[in-house]
Amino acid sequence: MAIVEVKNFKMIFGNKTVIKDLSFEVKKGEIFGLLGSNGSGKTTTLRALLGFYQPTGGELFVDGKKYNPEDSLVVVGYLPEERGLYRKESVIDTMIYFGELRGLKNPREWSLKYLERVGLLDKFNEKVEKLSGGQQQKVQLGLTIMGNPKLLILDEPTKGFDPMNRRLLMEIIEELHKKGAAIIMITHYMDEVEKLCDRALLLKDGVAKAYGTIAEIKKEFGGKSLEQIFVDIYGGDNE
Amino acid sequence: MNNFTLKVAKFEIVRQLKKPAFWAATLLMPLLIGGIYFISFISSQDVDTNPTIDENTKIAITDDAGVFSEKAPYVINGDKEYGVEKVKNGEIDLYFYIPKDFKESKRAEFYHISEGLDIFNYDGNILKSLMMQDAAMRVDELDILALTSGYEIVDNKITKDGEASNALGKAIIPFAIGITFFMFIALCGNRFLLTVVEEKENRISEMILTSVSSKHLIVGKIIAMLVLGLIQIMALIIPVLILVFLNRDSQMIGPIVSIIEVDPLAIFLSVMLFIVSSVFYAGTCTFVGSLVSTAKDASSFIGPAIIMMVFPLYFMQMFMMEPNLVVQILTYFPFSAPIALMLRSGFGTITTPEYCIGLLVVAASAVVMVRLAVVSFQKNAINFSNVLLKLRKKA
Repeated sequence: MAIVEVKNFKMIFGNKTVIKDLSFEVKKGEIFGLLGSNGSGKTTTLRALLGFYQPTGGELFVDGKKYNPEDSLVVVGYLPEERGLYRKESVIDTMIYFGELRGLKNPREWSLKYLERVGLLDKFNEKVEKLSGGQQQKVQLGLTIMGNPKLLILDEPTKGFDPMNRRLLMEIIEELHKKGAAIIMITHYMDEVEKLCDRALLLKDGVAKAYGTIAEIKKEFGGKSLEQIFVDIYGGDNE
Repeated sequence: MNNFTLKVAKFEIVRQLKKPAFWAATLLMPLLIGGIYFISFISSQDVDTNPTIDENTKIAITDDAGVFSEKAPYVINGDKEYGVEKVKNGEIDLYFYIPKDFKESKRAEFYHISEGLDIFNYDGNILKSLMMQDAAMRVDELDILALTSGYEIVDNKITKDGEASNALGKAIIPFAIGITFFMFIALCGNRFLLTVVEEKENRISEMILTSVSSKHLIVGKIIAMLVLGLIQIMALIIPVLILVFLNRDSQMIGPIVSIIEVDPLAIFLSVMLFIVSSVFYAGTCTFVGSLVSTAKDASSFIGPAIIMMVFPLYFMQMFMMEPNLVVQILTYFPFSAPIALMLRSGFGTITTPEYCIGLLVVAASAVVMVRLAVVSFQKNAINFSNVLLKLRKKA
C-alpha cells in the first residue's frame, strides 16, 4: 500500500524544466531516500507533494488524494530545508500552538515530555531567540514529529546538526519507523541512506536515474557502493 | 467559524497581548491624541471661521423695529413669511428678521439654508456688521444701546424643504466613526504587515503550512488583528466616553451633546462601513506582506495604499458641497471609498442608496483582497525573495 504516489509529475518554472516526467511511490511504513545533487528537483518534488507548488503536469497524492493539512487523515511531519521558528515566542507557546494545529489533546504535556527527553525542560519558558542553534534544532524536530505523524518528510534533516542532535534525530526516525510511519528523507550522506533506507530514488535534472530497494540499485550498478553510484551518476556536477 | 481559524486567531491575540509594546502603543495613543487636540484647540482660538460675504451673497432684512435707516441696503418691505420663503427657494442667501420689540427683547431671527457643517457657515454677527455699517452713516439717529449692548440672534438653519436643519448634530456620530477608522489605520497598519512577513522572515512558513491551510492561517491572522485593533480603539474611546458623560452638563461639552442626532440607520451603516473598511485595509496589508520577504520591504510598499486611503482628506472642501466628478470617483474607488463615504455621510452630501452602493463596493473589495492575500501567501510562502521588488525592477 502506497502512502505517497507521484504519477508523471512535471514541473516547469518560467522556461526552465525542473522535473521532466517523474513517477514513484512510497510505501506505508518504509524509509525512502530521495537522492540527488543540488538542483536535481528533490525539494521541488516534496513541495509539490505538499501543495506549495502547483505541478505543471501529473498528479501527486498523499494517502490517495491531494494533500491538504486540514482534510488529510494522515498527519504529516515536515522538516523543510528552509526552517525556522517564531523567534520572539517562548518555546512552550510555539510547541503548544503547533500541537493544537496538529490536533494533540494535551499539547502542553506532550511538549514538556519531549523537552525533558531532549534536555531542554529548563528552557521551556525561554524565548526561542535565546536558544543556541542546536537547541533550536531540537525544538524544530519536536514540532515535526508532533501528533505521531504517519508520514515524515525530512529535507536534509542532519544539515547543520551537531553530532549529538544527529544521533537524536536518528533515534527518533527509528522510533517513528517502528511505530509504522513512512519516512521520506532527502540527504547527501550515503551512509545514512545505506543504514536507514529501504528504498531510494536517484534524481538527476528532474529525471529518475535509479529507483528501487537499496539492494536493487546496487545490483543495477554492478554492486558498487551507493556513494560510488552517486559519483558515477552525477560526475562533477554536485556542488 | 473553522476550528483552525480560531486556533490561529487565539495564538496571534495572546502573543500580542503579552507584549509590552502593544500596551505601550495602546496607552500612549490617548495621550498623543489629547496633545494634538490641545495644540489645535489653542491654535484655533484666533481663527475666524466666518466666510466673507462677497458681492454675490444675497442678503435681506425685514426691519419691523426701525433699527436701520430708510435708505439702508438689504432692507425689504416684505414680512417674515415672505423672507423665509425667499430663503427656501434660493432667492435670498441670508435673511434677518428684526421684530418690533427688538429694543426691549434684544432678539432677532436669522434664516439661511444649512450647507454642510455649520461650523464653517454664516452666523448672526453679519447682522451686527450691517448695523454698524448703517450706523456709521447716521450716528445721531442711532440707538447706541442697540449696538453696544448684547442682543440675541436666534439662528434658524433650515433645509431647502423648510425643515429645521441640524447638520452638525447629524455629523457627529459619522465623523466619530470616521476618526476611529483613521486611528485604526494608524494603530494597526504596521502590525498587519508584520504578521504575515514574520512567517517568511523566520523561515517558518513551510512548517506552519503543513499544519494549517493558508486560508485559515490568513483569515485567523486577520481576525486576530481586527480584535487587537478593537481592543486598542476601545482603550481610547472608553475614557473619552466616560469624560463626555461626566461633563455632559458643562459649558463646553453640554451644547455638543445636546445636538447629537441619533439616526439608527446612519449609525448601522457607519458601523458596517467601519467593519468592511477595516477588513479591506487588513486584506490589503496582508496581501502586500505576502509579496515581500522582510518587514522593511513591506513598509515601503504599503505607503501608496495608505496615501490612496487618506486621499479624500486632501479634497475636504469638495466633500462639503454638492458632489462633483472627483468626489464621485473617490466615493466608489475601493481604496478611497471608506474615508470618502465617511466624509460625505458627515457632511450630509450623500443619499442612503448611494451610501449603500459605496458600502457594497468596499465589502466586495474586502473579500477580493482577503482572497488575493490567501492565494498570494500560499504561492509566495516559500519565495523568500521580494516579488514586488522584482516587479518594480522589471518595470
